[in-house]
Amino acid sequence: MSTTQVHANLTDEQVREISGNLDEPEWLLETRLEALEALEELDMPDVIRTPGRDWTNLHELDFESLVDPLNAAENKDQVGPDEVDVLPWAEAVDEHEELLKEHFGSIVDPQENYLTALSTALFSTGTVVYVPEGVDAEDVTIRTEQNSRSLFNYTLVVTEESSSVTILERQSTGEEQAEQYYSGIVEIAAGENSYVQYGSLQNLSEDAYNFTVKRGVTDTYATIDWIEGNLGTQLTKTEVSTELNGDSSETQIVGAFYGHNDQHFDLDVKVWHRAEHTTADLVTRGVTDDVARSVYEGVQDVGRDAWDTSSYQRENTLMLSDESEADASPKLIINNHDTEASHSATVGQIDAEDLLYMTSRGVDPRSARNMLVEGFFVPVLEEVDVDELREDLEDLVAARLRQRT
Amino acid sequence: MSSEQDHLKETDTEARFEFKKEERSAVKSDKGLTEEVVRLISEDKDEPEWMLERRLRALKQYQNMPMPTDWPGQPDLTELDIEEIVPYIRPDVDKREGVDDWTELPDEIKDTFDKLGIPEAEKNALSGVGAQYESEVVYQNMQEQWEEKGVIFMNMDRAVQEHPEIVKEHFMTTCVPPSDNKFAALHGAVWSGGSFVYVPEGVTVNMPVQAYFRMNSEGMGQFEHTLIVAEEGSEVHYIEGCSAPKYGTHNLHSGGVEVFVGEDAHVQYSTVQNWSKNTFNLNTKRAIVEANGTMEWVSGSMGSKATMLYPCSILKGRGATDTHITIAFAGEGQDIDTGAKVYHNAPETSSTIESKSISKDGGRTNYRGLVHIADGAENSSTAVECDALMFDNESTSDTMPYMEIEESKVDVAHEATVGKIGDEDIFYLQSRGLDDDDAKKMIVAGFIEPITEELPIEYAVELNRLIELEMEGSLG
Amino acid sequence: MARLELNNLHAEVAEGDEKILEGVNLEVESGEIHALMGPNGSGKSTTAKVIAGHPAYEVTDGEVLLHLEEDEFGEEIEIDEDQRTWNLLDLEPNERAALGIFLGFQYPAEIDGVTMTNFLRTALNAKIEEREELFEGEEGDDEDEADEGFETSPMEGPADEGEVGVAEFQEILQEKMEALDMDERFAQRYLNAGFSGGEKKQNEVLQAAILEPSIAVLDEIDSGLDIDRLQDVSAGINALRDEQGTGILQITHYQRILDYVEPDHVHVMLDGQIAKSGDASLAAELEDKGYDWVREEVYGTA
Repeated sequence: MSTTQVHANLTDEQVREISGNLDEPEWLLETRLEALEALEELDMPDVIRTPGRDWTNLHELDFESLVDPLNAAENKDQVGPDEVDVLPWAEAVDEHEELLKEHFGSIVDPQENYLTALSTALFSTGTVVYVPEGVDAEDVTIRTEQNSRSLFNYTLVVTEESSSVTILERQSTGEEQAEQYYSGIVEIAAGENSYVQYGSLQNLSEDAYNFTVKRGVTDTYATIDWIEGNLGTQLTKTEVSTELNGDSSETQIVGAFYGHNDQHFDLDVKVWHRAEHTTADLVTRGVTDDVARSVYEGVQDVGRDAWDTSSYQRENTLMLSDESEADASPKLIINNHDTEASHSATVGQIDAEDLLYMTSRGVDPRSARNMLVEGFFVPVLEEVDVDELREDLEDLVAARLRQRT
Repeated sequence: MSSEQDHLKETDTEARFEFKKEERSAVKSDKGLTEEVVRLISEDKDEPEWMLERRLRALKQYQNMPMPTDWPGQPDLTELDIEEIVPYIRPDVDKREGVDDWTELPDEIKDTFDKLGIPEAEKNALSGVGAQYESEVVYQNMQEQWEEKGVIFMNMDRAVQEHPEIVKEHFMTTCVPPSDNKFAALHGAVWSGGSFVYVPEGVTVNMPVQAYFRMNSEGMGQFEHTLIVAEEGSEVHYIEGCSAPKYGTHNLHSGGVEVFVGEDAHVQYSTVQNWSKNTFNLNTKRAIVEANGTMEWVSGSMGSKATMLYPCSILKGRGATDTHITIAFAGEGQDIDTGAKVYHNAPETSSTIESKSISKDGGRTNYRGLVHIADGAENSSTAVECDALMFDNESTSDTMPYMEIEESKVDVAHEATVGKIGDEDIFYLQSRGLDDDDAKKMIVAGFIEPITEELPIEYAVELNRLIELEMEGSLG
Repeated sequence: MARLELNNLHAEVAEGDEKILEGVNLEVESGEIHALMGPNGSGKSTTAKVIAGHPAYEVTDGEVLLHLEEDEFGEEIEIDEDQRTWNLLDLEPNERAALGIFLGFQYPAEIDGVTMTNFLRTALNAKIEEREELFEGEEGDDEDEADEGFETSPMEGPADEGEVGVAEFQEILQEKMEALDMDERFAQRYLNAGFSGGEKKQNEVLQAAILEPSIAVLDEIDSGLDIDRLQDVSAGINALRDEQGTGILQITHYQRILDYVEPDHVHVMLDGQIAKSGDASLAAELEDKGYDWVREEVYGTA
């Protein structure tokens, strides 16, 4: 496990400097330092292995050259309506220390694996969204444009009782470099009867590496809906997940990806049912083209006490090129029989009959193919409530198709 | 109604599996796995040097491989101590290599197989029968008509002596090499008994051949090896049944199965496994399928403490086909981790996997499956369907499929469901006069019907009886 | 002769306290056809399910009685005087079935892998056996049964278990299916699995014909039927009454089926009670005037 570790390059002083620049209290610095120290012991995130094959090889990454902790640079927009606090990290530290103390690192354990610890030790930018009781807020936007070799980002969303919020997050690359590393951790604590919709569109440079964990926890009657779009990077390892800890809480995780060239996407979608009457719906659709490879793992985990669970998962991959690869592993872990759970996964190419039908009506083959690919994404796009995000996704898919000959 | 069925009715089903015979062995190895033990086995069998060499090589590989512990959610093997297992027990019979007349067997062995209904089944529905007791095949017989057509059905030990060319070529070489996994290596070192089946080109063996494996002694390991070679255009159905009485210490069953399905050939391999609930059942079963050949795996896993079994088909030739039908039933204290593996290595290959599982009283079932479609395996298709029924929230039902698709001109579909028996379904049956228990039994019988449909009637009956017994909680 | 009697029946959903039945009074006798009509949510289906013993409903007040005469189940079973009235609410659904109660489901369950033949013969034999237990106090020989298991194909069920053997049953089934104009391939299909709506309803009537109930409650047996099937189903219901003397409680939204199965009595249900009863002409009147007319007449409000 130790082959790729970079801690030799990293020092307490660097971490102290980052923390100091953000005016962090002592306990936060401690958390960071502990994460740094733990690097030595921690493993890379789990990847799927089958006899003779690793689905994703994180050990080949050269973190030594990727991580440049003190030179982080970005362009950032953090905006939202007045009733909601949408604060840059330093301001949040100043204004909401108790809130941070309660939630920071409580959902994604900083020491869950090597990369979460690295991110915790080194994050220099972040956003805190706090939605007070009863407030309904739309149009919270967090835009991150990476301009440095590495960038470590942190986001916390806390919603109080009966509030609702829609958040749209985007990552892109400003100044491109030969290799860049983006790492993000997102934690959502959804209070009782609150609703969070969190849309994310990752369109980083195709030379970048990306490691992201987004995880939410629901209280009673709360709902967390995730939308996850992945188009950029040469290698992405990401998890989007919800712990349904409150009775009658719900989650939906909608994913769309489009990999081309030599892109490699490792996408984990997970839900843990831990309370009664919870519902989960996981829907992912993606395209692989050229020599791209997609790896999908979807886990529906139903605990002993999760009575009356409903849990559904669908994953469909469309292979546009013969050289691409699509791997999938949808898993069911069921410990309570009072469950209705199902999953399905398909892999295939564009249906030749469909193509023939369209061309026989006079549509040229290229347009026909593009229409079919766009059509393939419709079932997930329909699930996206945020117009802006849906339109952006549609545009990016269409643009990528146009690039294709 | 046939006489066999009369016979079955007369004996109590539970008693048919759960009886013990006093151990009477001619040769018994020490516990554990040492070179000495391996040499003793080989010597007792008077094996040629090349087989001893293979055994010793496998032993080395075994010693160098770690126990598999890093699979997500795999059964707990910590209680399995191979150093405590007796790998070789040759029962005290007069004739080595098996008699062909049941009456020539010692009374307690004959009585064992009578109780299991094997001689009766032979009369009615089988082309040939082999019966293994501990480490040795004690009975082997096949109808003359098949011998005349060149079909070979003999015990594996004898095949080493009499058909060295075929065995040398196929035995743990290309199909299941000892390096495949720790238990395959173990098997390669201490294997004993099992069946060798050879079906010449174009011959269709129209009634199944059957082997029955019985472990009687406490703390032993059974490591039978089955090698099936079906030449071009031939057809055979091989059935194995397994059982053992329950003891306080652990038994180990680690069989090895290699099947070579020639062009246009058709092999069905059916297993009804009812090992006692102190048995670790860790097998490696694999088939290599040539062009337009068909391999069908039918597995019913009822018994054992822990089972890890993933019959594998390597679809090597264009147009080869695989079918997997799997049923697993896990009751109290059982962890049945089973599934399927298919490698699509040629164009126009297809696979269908159908898995049904039932977990109850704290038992755990897991479907673990791998479908790999290699680059260039154009126009291949695979369809996987896993359905699980759970009886209570003490039990666990997992589904862990893996799909690796390197080819775009494919049709890949996987579906899985997990649920409980529907209250409305039970009420519907009750409103027609069935009591609660019978309603549940009927729903379970219906649930596994797609599997039992594929089995010869005797086995379908057997499977249903076992499941009924499990549902009453009266076994084990 | 048998008589089903509902007295002041109150029921609510078992989980929760939503009241659905609020004092239903109704009597149905062998040989009679009753139509129970009413708007959605008035409690018709709940009445049917409570009679059959659906676990989702809890009876909070009132009773459901079944009165039998000495010879209700033929000569073989003698019904003592103290066994002629049964409080159905004390009995399991299968015991009610054995006493001659049949519920035709609005949405019959689909049960994969269980053939019609196996299912129906098992049900028929279970009924016979249960009757012996109920009336003669014979303990079911459970131990033996368990061991017999399936001696023939699991598709067919046990060959020799129960009163009615496979061959005899085949004859009964074939005869009943012919009478209902059903395709004989039905017998080998799985219970309701993949059946069309109409086929399911036809199958419910077939099951009634085979199980020969004293009282059949048919919950919207007419919904989803085309005209040909409606006539087949109606003929089946009339045959139940005419040939077996079954009392019918037919729950329906519509007048349509009543043209083919003429009711002796029509009841209108509103808000969990029988609001009005009459003869066949009441159904026609409802068709013209709607349920609000009854509401107005009974409660003085529309």
